[in-house]
Amino acid sequence: MWSRYQLGKTVLKTETPITLLQSEKAQVEVDSNALAVQIEFGGQKKGYVFHGRGKFILDTIIETDEGAIGKPIEREINEPFLMLSENKEIEQHIIVADRENLESMGYQSNQEFLVKAEELLHKFAGKGLLGRNCYCCCGSGFIFAFPNKTGKLDVLIANGPRLVFKSTDKVFIANNDKVVLKTPHETVVSNNRKSVVIKKKRF
Amino acid sequence: MSDETKAEIKKLREEIASLKEQLMDLKERRKSRGIYIDIGNNVRHYMEDIMESVAEGIDSELKKCVFIGPRGVKIIREEAPPQRESVEKVDYSKVSEVMSALGQEHRLKILEALMSGGKYVNELQEKLPEITASTLSSHLNVLEEAGLVVQEKVRGRYLITMPGRIAYKMALRIAKFVESGGQE
Repeated sequence: MWSRYQLGKTVLKTETPITLLQSEKAQVEVDSNALAVQIEFGGQKKGYVFHGRGKFILDTIIETDEGAIGKPIEREINEPFLMLSENKEIEQHIIVADRENLESMGYQSNQEFLVKAEELLHKFAGKGLLGRNCYCCCGSGFIFAFPNKTGKLDVLIANGPRLVFKSTDKVFIANNDKVVLKTPHETVVSNNRKSVVIKKKRF
Repeated sequence: MSDETKAEIKKLREEIASLKEQLMDLKERRKSRGIYIDIGNNVRHYMEDIMESVAEGIDSELKKCVFIGPRGVKIIREEAPPQRESVEKVDYSKVSEVMSALGQEHRLKILEALMSGGKYVNELQEKLPEITASTLSSHLNVLEEAGLVVQEKVRGRYLITMPGRIAYKMALRIAKFVESGGQE
């Protein structure tokens, strides 16, 4: 399905804390009263932009015969973030937001939040692509985009045990026991606990 | 050869030339950029970009860095730097932290239990019934702070790290060496 993406007009909020993603290695949670707006592709709901408190955990750890490599990532979410997913369950925990909810997140009006959400969507899709056609193909998977301290986006793509995470200094790709981890200091390729480690630092 | 066929061949040659140009352009782009990411039209492209950047990273690092094989084999791809004669500054507080983490029988037993693979706290408790739950938790914290074990935040399993394995093996070797009076 090819069509232009756009944001919904209604500002929503999470009624309860929601676990947006739960897998063996990753977890994304958003608290109650987080603002949300739908992302639509060709009239179909394809995801949300959220702004509220939340938590993002990713175990970028590789278990090898020589010992574990890597550290987990655990971050509090405070900035707006984007989620593309066709998961319908989330809708059951989302209702229309009121002015109080907007103010608690520092917005004076619906429009102010929608502009912020649009900016994030624009950044995710790439500059100059807003007017073009865009293809959304999440299927049963999830795509998350979290702004980081450098102002760029950390992107997490997850579908069951398969996931890809890309941040400014780290790439983590996992498919069951096959894992690739790239950090500024090393690159690790692992398949069923057997691994190859390439270190930048000289011995 | 008919004119029509000739024209077709000419057209195909032009297409080949155009494709070659595109290929050259792509190669140039790959050379000039470290990590190239463009979440443009769809996720497939994004994945390809990530895989490309990882492959480039591996490729460039293999050419200039030390390579450690799965069994610890080191292959130096380029001339090794001259060994420094001066003694490097030692961070004694870190040394002390690591040695202190290793200097406890229960913690060594925990490391030994983790050598066979990652374990949940309850699995460790089953393996080490002589250690109470609260003591086990405190030992795990010490080992984690020293960088000898790491905990998965989603599943909660504890894993021994690569330095943890080495430190554990070294501790056993040192003990054996001292016990034998320096004979082994």
